[in-house]
Amino acid sequence: MNPNINNNAPTYAHVSGIKWVVCEIIDHLWPWNKEGWRQHKAIETAGMALAIAATVAWLLAANRQLGASAVIGWWLGWSIYEIIIRMQCKPYIKDGPWWRHNYRPASRMDMFCYVMFKNLLIGVILFSVLRNLGLLQMVD
Amino acid sequence: MTPNYELSSCTNIHMKVPPLSVAHSTIHLINRFMVLIAWCLIFSLGFSAKAQAEDEKDADYNTHGRHATATHSGSYEAPLPVELSTDPDLCAYVPCSDVFPNADYFSSRKGRPAYVEAYRSKKVEDKENGHHTQDESRVLLGYVFLSTDIVDIPAYSGKPVVTLMGMDVSGKIVGVKVLKHSEPILLVGIPERELTKFIKQFVGKHAWDKLEIGKARAEGGYIGIDAISGATVTVISENQVVMRCAYEIAKQVGIIKAVPRPQAEFTSISEQRNWDELLAEGSIQHLTVSPADVGLDNTSQPYIDLYFGYLNAPAIGRSILGERNYAGLMAELKPNEHAVFIVANGAASFKGSGFVRGGIYDRIQVSQDMDSFTFRDTDYRNLYNIQAVGAPEFNESGIFIIRSASFSAAYPWSLVFLGNKMDRQTGTKTFANFDREYWLQSRYLQGGRPVIIKSDPVWLKIWKSRIKEIVGFISILIFTATIYARRDNLVRRSNRKDKRWVSIPKYAIWMTSIGFIGFGLMAQPSITQVLTWFHSMLFQWKWELFLSDPFIFIFWLFIILTVFVWGRGLFCGWMCPFGSLTELLYKIAEKVGLKRFQFIPSNAVHERLKWLKYGIFLVLLIVSFFSMGLAEKLAEVEPFKTTFLVGLFNRSWPYTLFTATLLGLSLFTERPFCKYLCPLGAALAMPTTFRWFGLKRKQECTSCTACAKGCGSQAIDHKGVIDHRECLLCLDCMVLYYDDHACPPLSKERKLRTLSGLPLTRISAGGYYIPIHPINEKGVDK
Repeated sequence: MNPNINNNAPTYAHVSGIKWVVCEIIDHLWPWNKEGWRQHKAIETAGMALAIAATVAWLLAANRQLGASAVIGWWLGWSIYEIIIRMQCKPYIKDGPWWRHNYRPASRMDMFCYVMFKNLLIGVILFSVLRNLGLLQMVD
Repeated sequence: MTPNYELSSCTNIHMKVPPLSVAHSTIHLINRFMVLIAWCLIFSLGFSAKAQAEDEKDADYNTHGRHATATHSGSYEAPLPVELSTDPDLCAYVPCSDVFPNADYFSSRKGRPAYVEAYRSKKVEDKENGHHTQDESRVLLGYVFLSTDIVDIPAYSGKPVVTLMGMDVSGKIVGVKVLKHSEPILLVGIPERELTKFIKQFVGKHAWDKLEIGKARAEGGYIGIDAISGATVTVISENQVVMRCAYEIAKQVGIIKAVPRPQAEFTSISEQRNWDELLAEGSIQHLTVSPADVGLDNTSQPYIDLYFGYLNAPAIGRSILGERNYAGLMAELKPNEHAVFIVANGAASFKGSGFVRGGIYDRIQVSQDMDSFTFRDTDYRNLYNIQAVGAPEFNESGIFIIRSASFSAAYPWSLVFLGNKMDRQTGTKTFANFDREYWLQSRYLQGGRPVIIKSDPVWLKIWKSRIKEIVGFISILIFTATIYARRDNLVRRSNRKDKRWVSIPKYAIWMTSIGFIGFGLMAQPSITQVLTWFHSMLFQWKWELFLSDPFIFIFWLFIILTVFVWGRGLFCGWMCPFGSLTELLYKIAEKVGLKRFQFIPSNAVHERLKWLKYGIFLVLLIVSFFSMGLAEKLAEVEPFKTTFLVGLFNRSWPYTLFTATLLGLSLFTERPFCKYLCPLGAALAMPTTFRWFGLKRKQECTSCTACAKGCGSQAIDHKGVIDHRECLLCLDCMVLYYDDHACPPLSKERKLRTLSGLPLTRISAGGYYIPIHPINEKGVDK
């Protein structure tokens, strides 16, 4: 048990069953929340722009106009943005086993580790899918 | 509490000490650092002097074996001319005389696969003038050939070791030279003379010899050759390259005669089948090569999309050609002649754009075991249409005839598409082959398919050859995990003054890790493996690459599992050979009287320095995406290769000095490398954020920092929170947690109970005595 754990948990922390799983998935994929949006509109807007830019990068990559380095660069850029925005909007991470509902306030390092690791997994899945569909050519 | 002046011992005794004068403490600090630096210098100089002596010995050795050394120095990622794989004059680009010193003339490339002939000019002594003159006639001495012209066998790096070989006319190998390799271990791990010794073993062997790495088997006429410790995959691959190339060329030039195989007897089944049925049963095989496979940009169509099948079998031949054409073809074929049809679509042609009448089809060949069969124009027949119902349209088609008794349709064979893979960075083309196996269905063979014992893949051979060590290694891992899983029992039995229940198994594991895993198996995990993972996950996953070193593979499974369950501490704190070595040095130094010089960096310094390892990891990761070779070199920040793989005294002095300094420093402060420099630790620390089970804490831990003072990894902050990314799971804080004479809140409760005359009940998992509840006469809890 972490003695410093506080009630900085997400609102869905007390939900159970499949609804909780769905909330978890959304929480991992969507770094913003309403409160954060109201409080940090400028950052949010920049974030949206960055998200669009990242999407364009993906589309370019799908058209084989971006090399691996550029795609990874975008991936890294997005991850850094996500760390910043999550610290504003969702400053917590899971504490203990993933199937439990314990959360703790995230330090910057916690958030860095969480976002980088999560995005690595998402990146691997996306890269694999795109590569298998023949939409992305990654030459090492 | 004022941390500078109050010593809070773990026994709950708070002792006030008078403030030290600034001057006194400064002198004390300077003294400590002077002693530390002196020790480090002594160690470093001692190690460096030894390393220098070893270097000088190497220099002497190299003087004697100059030719062998010169044959591969600087071959790591050595740039090779773009024309090397295509220009007819091979020896204009590579020093053929290095592998055939007696020859003074080399022909242009011949044959398929290509080789050059090595000649010596006849010299006639002019007796009148007393000097030699050169006659125009030449004597054929042997052959020189380039591995990438013949085979496509990747080594540990996934890239081939480009090797030049010389073989005399009797089939004896006379010279071997590595022109280029991409093996990181041979760049920074294994000394040059090890590669020299290995390569020299092939000289004097014959093309038909069966060479095996390690001790030769008693049966089968195998010859054993010594491996290079720590580079098993590389040497197995190189053995295959050299012997396969020598065999291919020896067979082509007639040194090795063809051995006939028992021919297939076909069953009387002759019912015709449609295209899909033939494809489904395997009588037609499919081979696709994408543009990316040959280093080109992907387009909407494959580089080549090829279908092929064996026509002599009546059912297949009749289905593909129709009754009349089949009968015509069979009437034309002589005994031991075999017809294969090939049809294809795609950007490339399997007939080859460079094919001219009278030449050889240089894009396709058939291979069976060690034999390969190429086709000339006289072996080609037109295939105008396919009779099998449902056959798609194809751009190219043809029938090719194999004319050899060495080929038998009863055994598996492969159609090989020979391509050139272009390196995008250098523009150089290297030989790459793509093959698909074909084996006639048993229903078409009288007596069914013969029993074939296929040789194991390289990685499986390695696993089988080291099965006892693998079992021992797995046992150690299971033992460690079991011990740690039962940590609660161990720490409850221990107390602050007597930690043997934890220490004895931990020290035993450390010793095993250093001796057996580190020095014995050389299974020290490294950041380079993490980088390889990243690349494999994003680019191309190759199981063979990871399976090639069984201990590293198993160790990583263990590490991944335990990092997510308990955090990186179990590996870093209990199992890492280098980490164990440094902490053991620290403990030994403590016992032999160096304790007074030992120190713990201040929290302020520690808090800054601990980020260094994350920075190193990220730099390595980013660099690796641009140049894996450079990342491998930078990964020398890990002293693992110097310590375990190569040996402290087998490397040049900067590596030795660096490692010796780290080991020397470890005598005075606990695990300096692990805490501040280790990129592998940083890489494992990041997923440790999501470990399932951490260490226990009490509410009082937020204000009491008793256990933080004894934390060697300095992972407990001023709020009592354990940073599991930094924690090495030494369990000292857990011992304290259950020690009612050391843990301040528990000790306080013990004293209160003793004063009140209450019994000391068992300590619960929460770290407190189990509460005493008064009960009434009926035994019901009030």
